[in-house]
Amino acid sequence: MNKQSKGMAKVERYYENYGSRARELSAEGKKVIGYVCSFAPLEMITASGCIPFRLRGDIHEPITKGDTLLETIVCPYYRSCFDLAVKHRYEFLSGMVIPHACDSMVRSFSVWSYSLNLPYFQFVNTPSVVKDSSFEFFNEELKTYKKSLEEFVGKKITDDDLAGAIQLHNENRNKARAVYEFRKPDPPLITGQELAKTLLACSSLPIEESNRLLDEVLEEVGQRKKSPLGKGPRILIDGACIDNAELAGLVEDLGASVVADTICNGSRDYWPKVDEKKPPIEALADRYLDKLNCPKTYRENKTGNFEEDIKARFADIGFTAKEFQVDGAIIYLYRYCDPFGFEVPARKAYYELIHVPLLHLEDLYSAGTIGQLRTRIQAFLEMIG
Amino acid sequence: MMVAGIDVGAATAKAVILSDESVTGSVVIPTGYDVSTAAESVIREALENSGRKIQELSFVVSTGYGRNAVALSNKAITEIICHACGVNWMVPEARTVIDIGGQDSKVIGIDDKGNVDNFVMNDKCAAGTGRFLEVMSKVLGIGIDNMGRISLQGTEPCSISSTCTVFAESEMVILRARGESRENIIAGIHKAMAHRVALMGRSVGFRKEVVFTGGVAKNEGMKKALEDELSLEILVPEEPQIMGALGAALLARAEAARRLD
Repeated sequence: MNKQSKGMAKVERYYENYGSRARELSAEGKKVIGYVCSFAPLEMITASGCIPFRLRGDIHEPITKGDTLLETIVCPYYRSCFDLAVKHRYEFLSGMVIPHACDSMVRSFSVWSYSLNLPYFQFVNTPSVVKDSSFEFFNEELKTYKKSLEEFVGKKITDDDLAGAIQLHNENRNKARAVYEFRKPDPPLITGQELAKTLLACSSLPIEESNRLLDEVLEEVGQRKKSPLGKGPRILIDGACIDNAELAGLVEDLGASVVADTICNGSRDYWPKVDEKKPPIEALADRYLDKLNCPKTYRENKTGNFEEDIKARFADIGFTAKEFQVDGAIIYLYRYCDPFGFEVPARKAYYELIHVPLLHLEDLYSAGTIGQLRTRIQAFLEMIG
Repeated sequence: MMVAGIDVGAATAKAVILSDESVTGSVVIPTGYDVSTAAESVIREALENSGRKIQELSFVVSTGYGRNAVALSNKAITEIICHACGVNWMVPEARTVIDIGGQDSKVIGIDDKGNVDNFVMNDKCAAGTGRFLEVMSKVLGIGIDNMGRISLQGTEPCSISSTCTVFAESEMVILRARGESRENIIAGIHKAMAHRVALMGRSVGFRKEVVFTGGVAKNEGMKKALEDELSLEILVPEEPQIMGALGAALLARAEAARRLD
C-alpha cells in the first residue's frame, strides 16, 4: 500500500472495528469515557486525562436485550446504542456522560446508570432554553461536572488543562471543516460515505490521534485529481444522529453526491468552535448552550411572525445549502425522535422559502428498510434531476 | 418504433407495448414468488398479444419494486415518475395521482407536462393498501372483486379505527359478532383507507384533476370513499392498473428517440 492511501484505509479500519483503538487504550490502563450526543462537553473529559468515546448504534444488530430494559417509545437509534452497551459491545468503558438533550436521554439516564454499573456516570444538565439565566446556570453546572471528573481521576483540572483541551478540540474542528472543503468541487473530491466514515472514526479516538488521522485524510484527499463520483445532484442531509455511512452510500449509489449535512455526526458537532479568548468554563458554556443548532434548544421568537422565526432558526441550513451549492435536501429522521418530530413542519416551510426541494424520510433504525428508502430517494432524484 | 414498459409490483406484474403512437398490447399477471420470471412472462405475453417479437423492441423501461430484477430492462425508473407520466398521457389535466397498489400507496403532485413536483408514500407497512383489502375480503368471505359493489350498498359505514391488517382483522370479528351488515363493514373499511390516504397526502395536496390509479382503483367503493373524504370528484382511467407500465413505455419511447438523435 502506498503512503498516499494511508488515511482512508485507517478510517475504514476504525469505522469497521468501531472502538478497537479505545479497547487497546483501556487495556493499557487509560480511562475511556463514553458519551452520546453532541451536547456532551468533551473538552472536560480530555482535560481530565480521560478519553472521550462516542457510542454508536448498529443498524445490522437487532435490538434484543435493550428492549427488555427500555420501552419502545424511545427512539430506535438511542435504543440501539443502549442495546449494544448492555450487550457489552463497549465493555472497555470506565464511565459515561449523558447530556440533557432529547427526552429519551433524560428519562432513560437512570436505566443506563444501573444497567451498566460503571464507576463514573454523569448527567450534564444543559439547559434547553437560551436565556441570560441559562448561562448563569450552565456555568455552575459545568463546574459540578468538572468536580465529578476531578473526583473520578483523583486530580485537579486546571484552567491550563482546560485551555489545552479546548485548543486540541478546536484544532480538530478546523481540520474537519477543511475536509468539508473537498465537497465543494462538482463532483466532490470526497464522497459522502468517506466523509461520514472519517468523522465517525474520529469520534472513536483520543483527540490527538483524531487530529493526526484528519491530517492524513486531508493529505490523501488533497492529492486527488479526480472525483470518485460521477456528476449528479448535490444533496444535503438534514437530521439528527446518523452514525453510519449507509444512507450516504445509498444516495451515492443512485447517482447523486452527498455534499453537505446538518447532522450530529457532521457539521452540527464539528463546525462550532469554543472561543479561546474567553475564560474556559465560560467559553464552554457559550458553545454548548448556544452554538449547537439543535431542535432540542428553544430560542425565543422575538419577531412575532412565523417567516422571520424560521429564518432565524434555520439560517445555517440556508448558508450551508448555498455554500455547497446543493440541488436538494433529504430530512432523515428516526421514528419517535421527539425534538425533530416537533420541528418538521417548520423545517419544511423553511426549505420552501429557500427553494430547495426536500424529501422527508422517517425510518426505523434498521438495515432492513433500505429497499423502501431506495425507491423514495430514487424518485426524489428523478424528480429534481 | 416499438418500446415496452414493465411494471413489476408487489402483487402483479404489468407490461405495455407501445408501437409509435398507440398501445398495441397490455397484460397484467400475478407477480408470484420469482420477480424476474414474472417480468419475463408478462413481456412475453404482451408481445404475443400484439403479434410482435422481442427483437423488435428498441427500448425497455422497468419500474415497480422489482424494477432492478428485469433482465430485459434498459433503464429502471421509479414507479412514482412512471405513474405521473402514464396519467399525464391519459388525462392531461391531472395534477394529482392517488395510486394504491398491492403493498404501497402514494400521492403524487404533477404539473401540466407530467413532471412530478412532490410525492409522498406510505411507510414500510402495507396498512391500507391492496393487500389489506385482500385480507379483509377473506375475513369477510367475499371475493375481492365484489367489495366495491357491496360497499356501495352500505348505508352507514362502520367506524374502523385501524388500517393495520392485524388489528383490523380482530375488529372485523367484533363487528360481525355485533351483527353489523357486511355492506356497512366494507364501506367502513374503504372509509378508513380513504381517511389514511387523505392524511398522508395532505402535504402534497389534492389539486384537480385527481386521478386514482393502481389495482385498488378498480374498486368503485374505494373511489366513492375517496370522493367523500376529499369532497371532490375523482377520475379513474379505463385500465388504472397499467398506468405505471404505460408511463414506463412512454419514457422508453422518449429515451429511444433521444438516443436516435
